[in-house]
Amino acid sequence: MKFSRISLFCCLIAGSFQFGCTKNNGSTDPIATSNDTFKTGMLTNYADNLIIPAYGDLNAKLNTLETPLNAFLDQPTTTSLEAVKPAFKAAYVSYEATSVAYFGPAAALLSNNYLNTFPAVPGKIEKAISSGNYNFELPVVNDSIQGFPALEYLLFAPNSLEKFTGANASARKKYVRDVLSRIRLLTNNTLSQWNGAYRTTFVNSLKTDVGSSIAFLVNQFAYEMDALKGPRIGWPFGKLSNGQVFADKSEGYYSGLTRELAVANLTSLKNYFVGAKGDGIADYLVMLKKDALAQQVIAQFDVAIGAINAIPQPMTDSFSKNPAQVEEAYRQVQKLLTLIKTDVASATSVQITYQDNDGD
Amino acid sequence: MAIDWTARDRPVAIAPLVTFRITFGLLMFLSLLRFWARGWITDLYVNPSFHFTYWGFEWVQPLGDTGMHLLFFALMAASLLIALGLFYRVAIVFFFLGFTYVELIDVTTYLNHYYFISLVAFLLIWLPANRHFALDARLGLVQRRLETPAWTIGILRLQLGLVYVFAGLAKLNADWLLRAEPMKTWLPAKSHLPLVGQFMYDDWVAYLFSWFGAGYDLFIVFFLLNRRTRSIAYGFVLVFHLATALFFPAIGVFPYVMIVSSLIFFSGEFHDRLLSFLPAKKEPTIGTEPYRFAHRKLTAVLTVAYFALQLLIPLRYSLYPGNLFWTEEGYRFSWRVMLMEKAGAAYFTVKDQAGQKSYAVNNTEYLTLLQEKMMSTQPDLILKYAHYLAEVFKNKGIAEPKVFAEVYVTLNGEPSRLYLDSTVDLAAEKLRWNHYDWILPYEQSTP
Repeated sequence: MKFSRISLFCCLIAGSFQFGCTKNNGSTDPIATSNDTFKTGMLTNYADNLIIPAYGDLNAKLNTLETPLNAFLDQPTTTSLEAVKPAFKAAYVSYEATSVAYFGPAAALLSNNYLNTFPAVPGKIEKAISSGNYNFELPVVNDSIQGFPALEYLLFAPNSLEKFTGANASARKKYVRDVLSRIRLLTNNTLSQWNGAYRTTFVNSLKTDVGSSIAFLVNQFAYEMDALKGPRIGWPFGKLSNGQVFADKSEGYYSGLTRELAVANLTSLKNYFVGAKGDGIADYLVMLKKDALAQQVIAQFDVAIGAINAIPQPMTDSFSKNPAQVEEAYRQVQKLLTLIKTDVASATSVQITYQDNDGD
Repeated sequence: MAIDWTARDRPVAIAPLVTFRITFGLLMFLSLLRFWARGWITDLYVNPSFHFTYWGFEWVQPLGDTGMHLLFFALMAASLLIALGLFYRVAIVFFFLGFTYVELIDVTTYLNHYYFISLVAFLLIWLPANRHFALDARLGLVQRRLETPAWTIGILRLQLGLVYVFAGLAKLNADWLLRAEPMKTWLPAKSHLPLVGQFMYDDWVAYLFSWFGAGYDLFIVFFLLNRRTRSIAYGFVLVFHLATALFFPAIGVFPYVMIVSSLIFFSGEFHDRLLSFLPAKKEPTIGTEPYRFAHRKLTAVLTVAYFALQLLIPLRYSLYPGNLFWTEEGYRFSWRVMLMEKAGAAYFTVKDQAGQKSYAVNNTEYLTLLQEKMMSTQPDLILKYAHYLAEVFKNKGIAEPKVFAEVYVTLNGEPSRLYLDSTVDLAAEKLRWNHYDWILPYEQSTP
């Protein structure tokens, strides 16, 4: 009897250690099966009504972009370039609604890094075009020569048009086509994984540890808001640099879409938070008897969106001309970030790190 | 408590000590292997550019990629030597120093059970745990002993008892008992568990967990000490800690440390039978003198001093004003495990002396996610980081940087609120033992 007790706990110890890295590895745990219909329903809503449609929309907008873009590349004129702009804007704005879903397939493909690392680095792009030698699959170093920021630089930077008619025009056209097909490839790839096996994985991951769907969502809310507070608004505004403005480092600088993109990003985050027409994290908070917090966060979303919309256009000029409005937007985004990072993360008890932790 | 002073030198079977040594060595080996396999050596001790050192131990710095991995390899080797009882004294001294060194590198990696492991390793240095069922004894490197003074087992029981009782006392607070926090927050996250998952949103479950947990911690040791209740009590140890492991996997090896360590409460007879199952050649069972310590008076004085410290350290919090969970002054090294849900967001701004120049700080530039998370809710770490930022900006050419922190903290489901006086220049504040008066007082809004 005593021997069996010992062997029992030896087995338990050996079995329970769970070797191997569990980072970014949601719901492979066979034990994680249950009947929490609320969570399953909420995650199904996220997959079917938010994330998959968002990638579908981006895919469609990229399709639409192709026609005017090809027309422009065939015949580069002011008019044909102007015709690209609305389609480019629609695609970039659509991208913002996928940005928060940076986990699972998108994270594995590093797609956000490839699609939206800003600012693009013109020097590197020009070098890539003139040498004809570039590898978009090289992470980090080549993030800043592709994606929407690169496309935007190529199309809408000052004097961009004449470079499409000059000496190196054909290489430039090829580069633009390559950038777009890379964006389309990554988006397609992500979408087809969501339409395939990953949807099931996502919907059935009911835990809150790192790598679970709920933790992905809450952590990504915080991550996106941090990006809004930092690279999208605060850094170009000069927060890190004693007020020295770096307008050209903002998202959407060349296309003049900085404010639209920030608003699109935050509006999509709010939509994800409330769960569009179904159950979202806000409803989960209500389920956890945190109604007041859910309302507070939704209200703060509106305040922050309003504050960004109150910045006079073009926003990149306002960094210098209207610092008070930018500062206000920055403060309101920080308030929202604080709520997500502390109150919401705490209430949903999601883990932000995968190291051991004995409850502070 | 566990030490009967009139009989502290009474010889008793050495077997409990032997089991303790073997299981401790094996568990440490597995624990270190797991740590390595998960890539944590690199994540915690190689990648960070800055470490939150312990006050007075600023000289403890990591050894680099190769060095840290070699150290862990050596600690794993030492763990096996401890289990085998081979070159035991050297192995346990090395293990204690090496393990404690690793733990001293960064405060943000502090876990109560790591502290417990350091303390137990320290105690094991002085105990004759390699005198039976050990290669040292078999090879004749030390003389075999079948009996040891009762206090050598008693001090391990006392150490374990202190962990349990202090952990239990820590739970006797209004949030834990009356609001069932943080259980009420944590349990709904466990609704994925089979069978029990469906109950996780119910308040009564949170109260059950809270009250059972407090009662268990407070009283289990007394039932383990009593011969008649011991077997049942150990059943509770198994159930409680395995449940903890199931519900809170992030707690790591702590449940297993407690399950294995608690075997020390069983009798010598039990342990003799247990050891007889080892696939070792038959060990002699009769005919040696009990183990004796050379300096009995000195040993007694040092033991009493050690446990006096063990009693006082967890109580030091009472010398500080304010809410302990909020200020965390006197929180560490006190067996406060899984006790509160706390999260923070910390925004730092560096200014020059005149207040003309102002730089927001991007924390991710200097800290890992874990470091940032831990720093955001602990005043002494916020202060350490502020001092580090002052250094960084001094090197960037700002003569005497001022560092301001705007920190928001939520505790046990209370709405987040400003944590520190954001107008205080933290670069000018010193690390100190007495209360940091720049921590804003805790206010609770929910009853």
